[in-house]
Order: sequence, then C-alpha cells, then structure tokens
Amino acid sequence: TPWPFKTTRELPHVKNVGASGPEKYTEAFIKKQIEEFNLGKRHLANMMGEDPETFTQEDIDRAIAYLFPSGLFDKQARPMMKHPTEIFPEQRKIQWGEDGRPFHFLFYTGKPSYYSLMHVSMLSVINNVSSQSSTCYSRGACQDLLSLLMFSQNLAGSRWLTKIELEEMLLEKLSDDDYSRFIHLLQKLVALPCTDIEEEYIQKFSKEVPVQLQKVVIDPLQFDERGVAFSTGEGKRKTARATAVIYDNGTGKITVNGIDILHYFPVLQDREQLLFPFQFLGRIGKHDMVCTVSGGGRSAQAGAIRLASAKALRSFVTEKEVEFMRQAGLLTADPRVKERKKPGQEGPRRKFTWKKR
Amino acid sequence: MAAPSAVGLSRRLRAWLPRIMPVRWSRYDPSYLEPEVNKELYQKPPEKLTEEEREQMELKAVRPIKAAPPTLSSSVFSDPMVSKFTNMMMKNGNKVLARSLMSQTLEAIKRKQLEKYHKAPENEKEAIECNPYVIFHQALKNCQPIIGLSSITRGGKTYQVPVPLTDNRKRFLAMKWLITECRENKHRRTMMPEKLSQELLLAFNNEGPIIKKKHVLHKMAEANRAYAHFRWW
Repeated sequence: TPWPFKTTRELPHVKNVGASGPEKYTEAFIKKQIEEFNLGKRHLANMMGEDPETFTQEDIDRAIAYLFPSGLFDKQARPMMKHPTEIFPEQRKIQWGEDGRPFHFLFYTGKPSYYSLMHVSMLSVINNVSSQSSTCYSRGACQDLLSLLMFSQNLAGSRWLTKIELEEMLLEKLSDDDYSRFIHLLQKLVALPCTDIEEEYIQKFSKEVPVQLQKVVIDPLQFDERGVAFSTGEGKRKTARATAVIYDNGTGKITVNGIDILHYFPVLQDREQLLFPFQFLGRIGKHDMVCTVSGGGRSAQAGAIRLASAKALRSFVTEKEVEFMRQAGLLTADPRVKERKKPGQEGPRRKFTWKKR
Repeated sequence: MAAPSAVGLSRRLRAWLPRIMPVRWSRYDPSYLEPEVNKELYQKPPEKLTEEEREQMELKAVRPIKAAPPTLSSSVFSDPMVSKFTNMMMKNGNKVLARSLMSQTLEAIKRKQLEKYHKAPENEKEAIECNPYVIFHQALKNCQPIIGLSSITRGGKTYQVPVPLTDNRKRFLAMKWLITECRENKHRRTMMPEKLSQELLLAFNNEGPIIKKKHVLHKMAEANRAYAHFRWW
C-alpha cells in the first residue's frame, strides 16, 4: 500500500491517539472477503444438500435462518451472510498520487464528485441539448418529445434520488442546499426539449416509485342458497380486525357480532363511519351487512368495519367507482398505530419534568 | 396491500443515529396524497374540469392516497370547520362529550333563531337566518383577524410587529378566542352550549367581546405600523 494509506492493523499500536475515523478497507481485504464468501457459500450449499452452482442469495438467507434461528427483534442483529459489497460500505480510493498531488482537479473543493457532477457533466449535457434543440426546432418534431418527457418523469410514478441515495452514489456528505440545487438542475434539464438523447443520463438519477394499486384483484360476486349475491371483505385498524359480508337486495340492515349497530355503536360518529362507503356510492337502502369484529376500541372497530365493507363493495360496483372510492381514502388501511414509549421519556413524546437541580 | 411506511421506516431510523430525530414525521410515506371525499367532484363530467383539476386527477390516478380519518365523511352533515371546532373544544380526548356539546350548541342557536322568527313581524321574517351552520360559518368569518402581531426582539427590546396571517392561523385564532371567551369570562353555572350559542349569535351580528378583541388587535397593529419593516419574511 502507498505511504499515506495503511489499515489500522498494519500500523504499530500507538496509545492515547484519538480515533482516526471509520476503519478503511483495502481492495485486497475486500477481495479476500469475497473469496471467503464464495467458498462459504459452496460449503453451505453442500451442508444443505443443494447444488453449489445454483445457490442464490435467497437460499443462503433461508439456510442461515434454519441453521441459526434467532428470536432477536432487530433484523440487522440476526446472523446474516451477505456478499461483502453489501456489508462493507463503499469507500473512496485515495485521491492523490505518490507525490501528494491530487488526481481530480476539483479535489480542494472538498466535494470533488459532487461539484464535477454539477458543473462538468450537467453543463455538458445542457450544452449538448441546447445545441441539439436549435437543430430540432427547425425540424419541428419537439412537442411530442416534450410531452412524453413530462409524462415519463413527473407522472408515471418515478421520483428523483433522495439525498441519502445521492450521498451513497457520490460517496460524499452533502448539505440540504447542495441537494436542492441538484434537484433544480435536474428539473431544468427535464424541462428542456429534445432531452430524449440524454434520457439515459437522467435515468441514473431517477427511481421508480413502487408498484401502484391498480394491480389489486377484485373477487367476483358469490351466490348463496337463496340466490342472493353476496361478497366478503376484511379490514383492520389499529388492533381491530373485522370481516364484513354484504348481501344484495337488502333493506339497509347492519348487524355487528349479532347485535344491531344502533346498540353496538351508541356513538353517532361510528355509525356515520359505517355508512360512509354506502353513502359515497349512493347505495344506502340497497344492501344488508353482517359483520364480525374483534380487538381494538370503539373507533378502531368502526374503522375496521368501514374498510371491510368498502373492500366488499368493490365487487358490486364498476371499476371507475372503485377508483373513486380509492381516491376518497376508503380503500387504504390506516397505518397509524400507537407510538411506543421510549426509554428516558415518560411517554412517546413527553419528556420527564426538567428539574434544575 | 403493503404497509405504507415499511420502506421509509428503515431510512428514518437510520437518520436517527448520529443526527437529530425528525419530530414531524407521519406513518405515511411522503408520496401519499390527501383523500377527496366530496361526491360531486367525482360526478362532474370530464369536459367541465379546468386545467388544474385535470392535472390533479391524473396525479391522483398514479399516487397512493391516505386513508380518510374517522372525522371525515361524505355525508351532508359532516363539516370540516365544525369538526375542527369540536376538536378544539375537546378535553382529554373526550370526543363524545365535545360532539354532544357542539350539537347542543347548534340546536340552541336554531331554537333562539326560531323564537325570533316567530315573534318578528311579516316583513322582517325573511331577514332572520335560521340555519345554524350558516350562522356558525358567518360568525367565525366575522371573528377572523386580518393582521396579527408577532414579537420580534431587536437590540434587547421586544417589539410587537404587525404581520400578515395565513388562512389557517386566522381560523385558528377565531375559534380559540370563541372557546376561551366562553370558558373564562362567563358565569360558572351556565352550560357551554348556552354560552357558545350566545357568543356565536353576537359574532354573527358583529357585536360581542370577540369582535371587540379583534378590533383591538387591528388597532394595535395600526399603532405599531412603524415597526412593520422589522419583519423579514
């Protein structure tokens, strides 16, 4: 290893020296770890009686979970065997040569990769694009590309990299101001016409938002002995779990755990919540409902039944109305739960009384 | 459906470690949009939508939507202003009591207005407003201050600087003044619905202590006009 760079193991042990930052991993060290990992993978496959050639990471995870069962709550604390590039964080190679002269011309800014990204690469891209656009406008083929881009970037469920992701990519710490400037530059770039050429470059900085709810499968209607159509739905809210069965050709009667809603939910707000999906679709007197609910409190049970009935109603209703129900917030499970109490505090947020002495 | 916050939670926990824990976080991912409960907006045919509404609809079609809170409903009886006021009146999470007080207040307003209506001569009957919701909204509107004061310290002295208020802040101040006025400055034995209905009717007619408080605030702001340049936002 060149002279300014040694791992802590190679240096002679010096006492009373302050911490020199996180441990630095040499390339040789990482390579050794990768070899050990591959060897260990083959041993593990042999142990489990599977083919070493086709042993994937999921198989490794399953094998480790089987061989070393752990009841620890934190998933990161359990025994794991992952590829060394996932465990050891990526580190920058040394940025200066043997004579001490840095390789990158922006080294003394403190954030060479960030500034080079902003000024050198982006500027070159913008110049390319504006030179292309002057030729493009003359051909008059730009409007479609512009609209395509607006759609592909803003609306089709893609987002820019977050600050943490950008820091990981550049291996440098950034401030919020730097990050916001970066995003502004990206947006300006997208707004320019004829960026079709540089779309690959932009795609490096954008990520797909995870799968949308359009993929949910709606169960078809079932028919009971009397020939009446019915459908079931399940819902939950906080600790309450509910199942609802909605029958067609009804009079608007609603029964919860065998009790009429007027007796089960004496509070008006809960009954309003139960009727919300029906009122939204305009089907108040047309359906009968039988529900079972357990757990939670008064309001949580009402919310759980509301979600269950909304899910069951999807089978009775057109796709457009299902989309309207989703946009009204009827088909999303409320993720809010009671926040845990933290040590050193009296409650989830409240701190202990401050005493001066 | 996957839990909405599973992806973001690990990020946030990671952000906790050396740095400060962000306080205003929600269980929803930031990409979740607010639900729209009004039925009429969905029944509008697509030609009548404006540009903005069209864009909003397209955005909503792609993004996930938060669950509607238990206080929100598409029925004609749920009013967001009334719900907000009920929440502000609530003590120790006793929503049942707050809601019953609110309904008794509206009932009391209706009764008083009906009394006035039946006693009034024929030509004045149309001028009397009997709808308690209309009275409530109008009274709150009348109580909203236009300009507020904010304390700014310069050179050791604290000045009261006139400052424009946002809509939310105006509504909050109007409701807060109403409730504190009823809680503190009335006789101990009178019931809250009685006190509130009285105050609301006075505010509806632009009289009463809350309107006076608003005018006092405006006068103070006018008096401290000289310090308006201290504001930097």
